[in-house]
Amino acid sequence: MLTEIQEGKALNPVVRHITQEKINLYAEASGDFNPIHVDESFAAKTPLGGTIAHGMLNLAYVSEMMTSAFGQSWLSGGKLRAKFKEPARPGDTLTVSSKINCIEQRDNVSYANCGFECRNQKGEMIVAGEAIVKLSSARK
Amino acid sequence: MPDKTITYEELTPGYKFPPATYELSASFVSKYLKAVDAAGDGFVPPLAVTACAVASMTKAVPLPPGTIAIHASQDLEFLKPVPVGATIECHIGVAQKIARGKMSMLILELDVFDKGKEKVQSGKATIALPA
Repeated sequence: MLTEIQEGKALNPVVRHITQEKINLYAEASGDFNPIHVDESFAAKTPLGGTIAHGMLNLAYVSEMMTSAFGQSWLSGGKLRAKFKEPARPGDTLTVSSKINCIEQRDNVSYANCGFECRNQKGEMIVAGEAIVKLSSARK
Repeated sequence: MPDKTITYEELTPGYKFPPATYELSASFVSKYLKAVDAAGDGFVPPLAVTACAVASMTKAVPLPPGTIAIHASQDLEFLKPVPVGATIECHIGVAQKIARGKMSMLILELDVFDKGKEKVQSGKATIALPA
């Protein structure tokens, strides 16, 4: 968990390597067996040229970072808006990073507004968005 | 779900798919955590709850065979932690259907409730499809 919640504070990044095995495990866990994720010969014939990770797998890493930083506050008062910019592919290493852009006070409750991004090893943006966390009480 | 009695062309804003129920068992959570390379903390990871809802969307939306649907964006709000072993019910409806050039955008609303009918999560997913 973050010890200091203040504007400009960076959250601990999450780094994960994508493999076809992990994509297959995610398909099994979620029940989403769309062939673009799990059927390599099908995916190779599509404009994507190969399998891609589920967008929700990439987003899971964002949520993991937010849970590590904010704990229960994220589970019961988190909001996120994410745009999937580029697909993540087997062999990619994804780095999810974020910082607290601002802390807002509304009705005596504080909200931490965080911008986040997920990039691959080439620096390409895979997911970008913002997350808002309702903190337990007003803070300055 | 899936409701295969409706075609993609017949999906219109306001359409609600039949709800889907999932039991978030310890084995499901363990499989999910292994897939996302994460450690557990006693609660179901919120994105594991969403994963069920998104998977039910994928199964529910009747796409022509061979169509590639791309998950373009996702909004989510987490309202309540979900304990391991809970049963959830996913409600999905069509919010908007937009034709944009050679693409069609389908915006789906999702609400997830626990056994006590309390909302635990809500959100919106944008799915891009060839028009």
